[in-house]
Amino acid sequence: MQTWIEELLLENKMNERAFDNLHYDGDTAFRVRIRRFGALLGRLCSNPTTVIGLIIIGLMMAMAIFAPWITEANVPDPYQMPRDWGAVRKPPGTPGFLLGTTNEGGDVFYGVVWGSRTSLQLSLYVVGSTMIIGTIIGSLAGLLGGWVDEFLMRLVDVFLSIPELIFALAIAAVLGPSFTNIIIALSMVIWVKYARIMRAQVLQVKQNEYVEAAKVIGDTKLNIYLKDILPNAVTPVTVQATLDMGNVVLIGATLSFIGLSEAGIAEWGVLVSEGQAGIASGRWWASTFPGMMIFLWALAFNLVGDGLRDALDPRTEGR
Amino acid sequence: MISKKDNVGQPILSISDVAKHYPIREGALQRVVGHVRAVDGVSFDIFPGKTVGLVGESGCGKSTLGKVVAGLTDPTSGSVRYNFNTQLVSISSLEKNKFKNFRRNCQMVFQDSFASLNPRHLVFDIVGRPLKVYKEVSGYDLVEKVVSLLNQVGLGREHLYRYPHQFSGGQRQRISIARALALNPEIIILDEPTSALDVSVQAQILNLLNELQKARNLAYLFVTHDLSVVRHMADSLVVMYLGKIAEAGETQAIFAKPYHPYTKALMDAKPSFDEGQNSKAKGLEGVVPDPARPPQGCRFHTRCSLATDKCGWEVDDVVRWLEDTPGMFESLTAVERKSEFSAVLSFSDESSAANLKQEMRSEKLPASMRKALNKVNINEKNVQIEFEPVEEILLREKDGRHAACIIEPKKVNQEA
Repeated sequence: MQTWIEELLLENKMNERAFDNLHYDGDTAFRVRIRRFGALLGRLCSNPTTVIGLIIIGLMMAMAIFAPWITEANVPDPYQMPRDWGAVRKPPGTPGFLLGTTNEGGDVFYGVVWGSRTSLQLSLYVVGSTMIIGTIIGSLAGLLGGWVDEFLMRLVDVFLSIPELIFALAIAAVLGPSFTNIIIALSMVIWVKYARIMRAQVLQVKQNEYVEAAKVIGDTKLNIYLKDILPNAVTPVTVQATLDMGNVVLIGATLSFIGLSEAGIAEWGVLVSEGQAGIASGRWWASTFPGMMIFLWALAFNLVGDGLRDALDPRTEGR
Repeated sequence: MISKKDNVGQPILSISDVAKHYPIREGALQRVVGHVRAVDGVSFDIFPGKTVGLVGESGCGKSTLGKVVAGLTDPTSGSVRYNFNTQLVSISSLEKNKFKNFRRNCQMVFQDSFASLNPRHLVFDIVGRPLKVYKEVSGYDLVEKVVSLLNQVGLGREHLYRYPHQFSGGQRQRISIARALALNPEIIILDEPTSALDVSVQAQILNLLNELQKARNLAYLFVTHDLSVVRHMADSLVVMYLGKIAEAGETQAIFAKPYHPYTKALMDAKPSFDEGQNSKAKGLEGVVPDPARPPQGCRFHTRCSLATDKCGWEVDDVVRWLEDTPGMFESLTAVERKSEFSAVLSFSDESSAANLKQEMRSEKLPASMRKALNKVNINEKNVQIEFEPVEEILLREKDGRHAACIIEPKKVNQEA
């Protein structure tokens, strides 16, 4: 309820006074909260598949962050594949081209490394924006009820009645082929999931007696929402967000594969598309390596998402 | 309406004719098809430093009434009036800052101590929250104030930074009480505060509440279904049945001689140690009728062992009886009511109709119900039934107490 800074300041004062009171064991709100977070991490790491997921994500993140140090950035735009027309269709292991090259002389290794940056951007933008929008709209529907709820949820139904991929495809096609438009298209499709989850959660949490108790105290509606309803309702949203970090890249790659982002961009879906022409002639590498990256990315976030769901389970949490 | 004459001074809270009806909606257009009458015209006063016990079975509307009194929901009709400088003002018509004043002075402790404490808040957050809302104290003083509140309920500084799930049920209820005490209120509404606790812990909490009441001159509204708890706690009693008051008065007097058959039945329902192992508890039979269609006359007449023909027997009683009789309810096709006391029941076959007519005069129905029956006519598949109409039964006063029905010894003998 207090900011962490307040708690830290308080901790100092409490420690000074701790000598006066024999019953006081020196605990502070700040320490208890850190311990609680540590316990959550502990539960998360007790599941081996989650640890595998976390390691894969860690490696991917490191790759995205250190991309300019792993391979030299392409000038002027590092997100554009470098083209070496003198070295087309080289197999993996060729000096200078660790994972081979594509039909158009693109370095597959460069695409794999910089593709992790593109994917990270895609999933962060899409999941970040949809989580916020979905949470706000779902909360409004759940809290206000009545015609506001009715209107918002019918809107959500309309969005949900069309399959995700096809809807995103339609929007991206209308907006024109570009990576930014894929982000916009995916955001427009995915927010409804969060709105749905959040509304159901808010409806359930607001029935709790501690909400009633906060009203008896006389706290404001905004405070009751921020302190009592939101923190207790948001767990499934964070789990869904983790799962979506993987799913978004999967759908994004699909859209890129069928040509809805700029050609030549360092993106895994685009690379798979670029390499597919060579598969029949035995040049498997141009599609396989980026394809594996997509697979690993989606797998890792799904593993962590499942682990998070178990770790945050109210039946196990804090007991 | 109901106030004890010997009680000097003004009530701190006056509940007058409070009703709370919840609409029942049906169909695509959410049309209102009826009302659940959770509370249906209840009046009593709460005096400073005194405890009012609100007793009844589950579903009688006592918890709803508690919420209305706490200002959590507005009553459908009637008013809860709070004493502002010796002037009773209805809380639903208060301005914002005056309502805040009422809010501070009327706190509540809930039944489920686990559900009423936010699982993500520390004890310090929970107990300190009311003080923060009203910006009473802050910083280090807030910690000290919370510690002193915890001390008052038998907890200490070492409990400050723990989560509710780390405590036992009794300790959690103490935290709830500390939160209610934080703003130094005049009234605390206790909504079954001990019914989820062990008997030994119950006693501790009740003693704590008693001590706090003496120390701070608190008024309690003690909502419970447990008569033994209320006997220990309450100065006066309000016994509710199906949203209405069955009986109200001083606890001692009611326990010495209950007027209403319902109060008596509640007291008898408690198994006693004296009667030995073989004796069965004389429980109340049947279930509480649907509050959307409360019985006519005395609402308790459907389950009352002392009921007479004047108690409000009606068509619904016949329908309820048919529901419990296998084979009969299935063949019932329509009930055409002229009033609550007169109707034509249509059956799909003549034998059921004949059967009903026969049964209406048989021993299977209570004698008082048969006595109230004016007419049973059969016309092929239709049976016309008519009962003696009865007025709504109001509270009567006797020896400074109020009851909707007063058991007179003579009548008891007759019935037995």
